[in-house]
Amino acid sequence: MSTTTTPRTKRQAKEAAGPYGNVSRAVNELDDRLGVAKARTFLDKIFPDHWSFMLGEIALYSFVILLLTGVFLTLYFVPSQSSVRIPMDFPYAPLRGQRVSEAFYSTVNMSFNVRCGLLMRQMHHWACDIFVGSIVVHMARVYFTGAFRKPRETNWLIGSTLLILAITNGFLGYSLPDDLVSGTGLRIADSIMLSVPLVGSYLSFFVFGGNFPGTAVIPRFFVLHVLLIPGIIIGLVSAHLFLLVRQKHTQFPGKGRTEKNVVGTPMFPVFIAKTQGFLFITLGVTALLGAFAEINPIWQFGPYDAAKISYAVQPDWYMGFLDGLLRIFPPIEFASFGHTIPLEVFIPAVVFPGIVFNIAMAWPWIERKFTKDNEMHNLLDRPRDVPHRTAFGVAFFSLLAILFIASSTDVLANFFHVSLNTVLWAMRILTILVPIVTYPVTYFLCIEMQEGGRLIGKRKTANIVHRTTEGEYIAEPAAVRPGDGHHELDALPVPSFIEGIDEELEAPHEGELVEPGVRAVTR
Amino acid sequence: MTTENHDHAHDGSELLSLDQVTASSPQMQPLARDPKTMETKISALFVLSTLCFVGFGVAYWQDANFWLYGALLGTGMSFVGVGLVAWGKYLMPRGPFVEERHELASTPEERNAFAAALVERGGVTIKRRKVLGTLLGASMGAVGVVSLFPLLRSLGPLPGDTLQKTDWKKGTYLVGSNGRRVHIGTMTVGGSMTVFPEGLQDTDNGQAVDQTMLIRLEPNYPESNPANFKTKTGRENWGPSGYVAYSKLCTHLGCPVGLYEQQLELLVCPCHQSMFNVREAAQPIFGPAPRPLPQLPLAVDANGFLFAADGYTEAVGPGFWERS
Amino acid sequence: MSVRSPLTRHLRNAMLGVVAISGLSILSSGVIAAAAPTTTKAPTSSVTTTSNSKTPTTTSATVTPNLAAKCASLGATAEPGQPIDQSIVAQGQNTSEFNAGTPYSDVKCVNSSGEIVGYGNSAIFYTLPTSNPLSVGEELFLTYCSACHGVKANGVPAGGTTGIYPNLLGLGPATINFWITTGRMPAVDPRGVQAQRRTPRLTDKQANEVAAYINSLQPATAGPYVPNVNLRGANVENGQNLFALNCAACHTITGGGDALAYNTYAPTLHWATPNQIAEALRTGPGNMPRFTGNLTDWQVRDIVAYVSHSIQHPTNIGGVGLGGLGPVAEGFVALALGVGGLMLVTFWVGDRQ
Repeated sequence: MSTTTTPRTKRQAKEAAGPYGNVSRAVNELDDRLGVAKARTFLDKIFPDHWSFMLGEIALYSFVILLLTGVFLTLYFVPSQSSVRIPMDFPYAPLRGQRVSEAFYSTVNMSFNVRCGLLMRQMHHWACDIFVGSIVVHMARVYFTGAFRKPRETNWLIGSTLLILAITNGFLGYSLPDDLVSGTGLRIADSIMLSVPLVGSYLSFFVFGGNFPGTAVIPRFFVLHVLLIPGIIIGLVSAHLFLLVRQKHTQFPGKGRTEKNVVGTPMFPVFIAKTQGFLFITLGVTALLGAFAEINPIWQFGPYDAAKISYAVQPDWYMGFLDGLLRIFPPIEFASFGHTIPLEVFIPAVVFPGIVFNIAMAWPWIERKFTKDNEMHNLLDRPRDVPHRTAFGVAFFSLLAILFIASSTDVLANFFHVSLNTVLWAMRILTILVPIVTYPVTYFLCIEMQEGGRLIGKRKTANIVHRTTEGEYIAEPAAVRPGDGHHELDALPVPSFIEGIDEELEAPHEGELVEPGVRAVTR
Repeated sequence: MTTENHDHAHDGSELLSLDQVTASSPQMQPLARDPKTMETKISALFVLSTLCFVGFGVAYWQDANFWLYGALLGTGMSFVGVGLVAWGKYLMPRGPFVEERHELASTPEERNAFAAALVERGGVTIKRRKVLGTLLGASMGAVGVVSLFPLLRSLGPLPGDTLQKTDWKKGTYLVGSNGRRVHIGTMTVGGSMTVFPEGLQDTDNGQAVDQTMLIRLEPNYPESNPANFKTKTGRENWGPSGYVAYSKLCTHLGCPVGLYEQQLELLVCPCHQSMFNVREAAQPIFGPAPRPLPQLPLAVDANGFLFAADGYTEAVGPGFWERS
Repeated sequence: MSVRSPLTRHLRNAMLGVVAISGLSILSSGVIAAAAPTTTKAPTSSVTTTSNSKTPTTTSATVTPNLAAKCASLGATAEPGQPIDQSIVAQGQNTSEFNAGTPYSDVKCVNSSGEIVGYGNSAIFYTLPTSNPLSVGEELFLTYCSACHGVKANGVPAGGTTGIYPNLLGLGPATINFWITTGRMPAVDPRGVQAQRRTPRLTDKQANEVAAYINSLQPATAGPYVPNVNLRGANVENGQNLFALNCAACHTITGGGDALAYNTYAPTLHWATPNQIAEALRTGPGNMPRFTGNLTDWQVRDIVAYVSHSIQHPTNIGGVGLGGLGPVAEGFVALALGVGGLMLVTFWVGDRQ
């Protein structure tokens, strides 16, 4: 609102502004121009408090750390493959005088010669590993509780796109320092591009600006890494959060919680305080990891050189499942009619991740095909109550997990002192076996847990055991003693499934089947 | 709505929205039993964090040890974070509060109006100007297609036959990474080294494409000098003096196959553990590699130096579409 | 900036650390103290980097006073090395290169009876081990080695099974010395695929006595004498380059070693002494390729310097080194400590019911 009369004294001005003094004044000024007071609903927005809803916050805040530390790194990193000689006074002796790319030199230089440079580099890398990890954990939570169902399919789609972008950008960033390990990763990426039928060699030449390694790939990856992909991520994160606010948060079933309400703490001040505190804690954990746990010590790896190679080179953990499948895939190259399709590369490195991410992105629609469920869902499922979805999710994750383990066949063989070839064969078998086994096992476990829930909270009756003179033991139930009221411990029938159907929603759609009222199903 | 007895918070009070509570409602009270103590604790955390941050400044000024920066920053941030969370959790209104979800969906009238706007206003306009619409579409399509040219085509040269060939030619001398030619006496049985075409050992292409593993499998016997090592029918003269040379690029993903096990006589790829039998034309015996490593025919000159008797007879490295 | 001595620098850092951390944080000081690397000083190296990283290509032998003195200490006279006999090269049992672990080096020491007892150059000096008297070496050999390698050291044990155990004749003292001083021989499991490094059962002196005895049965033709690496003036930069090209493919770039084909493995380099590294390079034990003429003594010395300085004492300025395992270990830490730790925090921040 705006004031119409001109106040004469300060006191009058204060009173005219409203009961809250300077705050009122500020609100008035802002509201005149922006209409901020209408956003009060935003301050009042209620957030459910369950801990599992904060997993996405870990991802968000590690992304904030990535942006902050990343800006610092761009000030010192030189994205160029032109060759420089490391000065003879460089602190790390084995690199003195070596001819390396500017990208490599600037990275080791910021690690050794820039105050806080190594801390920022390590925080950046740790935050990246945590970023992707927390996205996966967050996604698992959303999946297993069914939070992706209508109306939140769009946000699921945005979220899974964010995962792909995060992995992509992680790989790009991993490639930038041009050290021996990342260079080998680039070499593999080049060969994967080459494996694409028809356009493979063009793809590779366009990315590398010529034959591998060329001189263009680091500057190009740099632009993608610091500008294009983070830009898209920021945009999608904003959309993700906007939809979260617009559609309001899901919640677990519980007392007073229905499909039509949200129970929790308000945005201001409680949620703000907690979530900002959590931002700082995330920063703190990342900084402590950055201080005490070394990550990617590229000076120990040395510069990349296409003829050099180290054993046991691995990508960052989130690319591990691809590397694992590449290792265990049988050699089935297609070669005839004057053409070659390296299926042993194309299938595990291009087709398989395509299938994985497509299943992930399309899951809400895939599930709807089976359940024919077109209802709005704001209350979450308990995983055991949706055994098929839970079983599929566990099988899916276990497949990826076993492939991740397969990317360390050499480490496993070394650690357990078994033959490398045996480990590889074991992994081939396990990759097929594990998902096939985990699906039914999870399914029946879910069913068991549904059944077993009934017995929770029941007390067994006491028995008194007598020994007869012949030495025989006889057990008979003990008499009920005062205070042994069994009914006290009998669990109240907890509604395992509450469904509130919005009257307004269901009422007027023509030709639509309407289910009456609210039902509380008790098992 | 649910029945009344479900509509309670943990402490038995009713679930209320923010508008329904007053400052004295139980929901508005802090969770902490003793708010004063909690306040002291949180203050202590904030003081500690301030000290940490000041310490960070001092450490920076003094150019202290690396880990001190991270430790001070990390503990400081953690203290602030814990303090803030504790403030929110224990000293602010404990709730819970309830908020009704507003309707996301619009009324049927609104939907109809929206659809009508699209179909009637838009549709009619476009339908009447069908030619314009088609022409606009054609223009946009054209710009879409041609913009691919600068976007893609400028990125790099066309591959041509560069992937099919290497710099090895008939008569190219083998050199080590130091640029010196390789004599037949350079290595004894069980030795291996990386060789390049002479003069290209320090170039990108020499290292990325031409790199070759030279291995000595057999000694030279005086009576059959130079003794050729035959890895395969048709390669009778490719291995003089017990030397064989294979492309160092794995046929799986192009990693340098620099791992030679001299007793097993296997070349192993360090990336994905493909194993190649060196005695038998580098045939893959295990792992994902689909093809043997291409072999470079060798010859010895009058002074005993090794050179390539010919270039590679097939494309080196991983498979690709144009590879025949 | 004023020049500060390392001691005051350390003291100041320690004081800063004590004041800032342990005084402040009840919660985390223990953790920090436990996790803090004890030394974080900038990497220093006794190796002086020389600008000349390339191998001397000259084949003209130079007998420096230093090398002459070495010969004298062996009771022999120094002679300049001679050009290589091409007939030996043709047999494939020797190298055509000068200064590559053969008597064709800068200097060779010839004793009164015309026997070559040492050879080498400023980088590596190879000496023939001695056993005084020879019966000491013989007794050790009969006690520890002959059960498998046979009393004649020809790989034929008393049982007569041939083809399983190696023939030691002519292998050269460096090979014998390597297998005994690394504790791989006498073997714990003689039929095993690959002997493991262990605490040696024989002393260095005893190892040399056994080597001298075996050498007395048949003089070394296929392998060098026992090397002694002189790391002064070594070039670790060159060593890093050569290591990445020749060694990292098996031993990994951080020297940790790993499993190779079938049941073989590349052992970790973290416990190898400089002389053992040189011996391994020159003799190619087990499945390791043998580096003869393709690495000069100077290059071997550079690799040895790199391994014993930078791989055995890695510069972990960024905190705990995580075992040099790379992204696997890092991913595990990120998921367990990072994501897992933060999930524990969410347990406290959020609601649990």
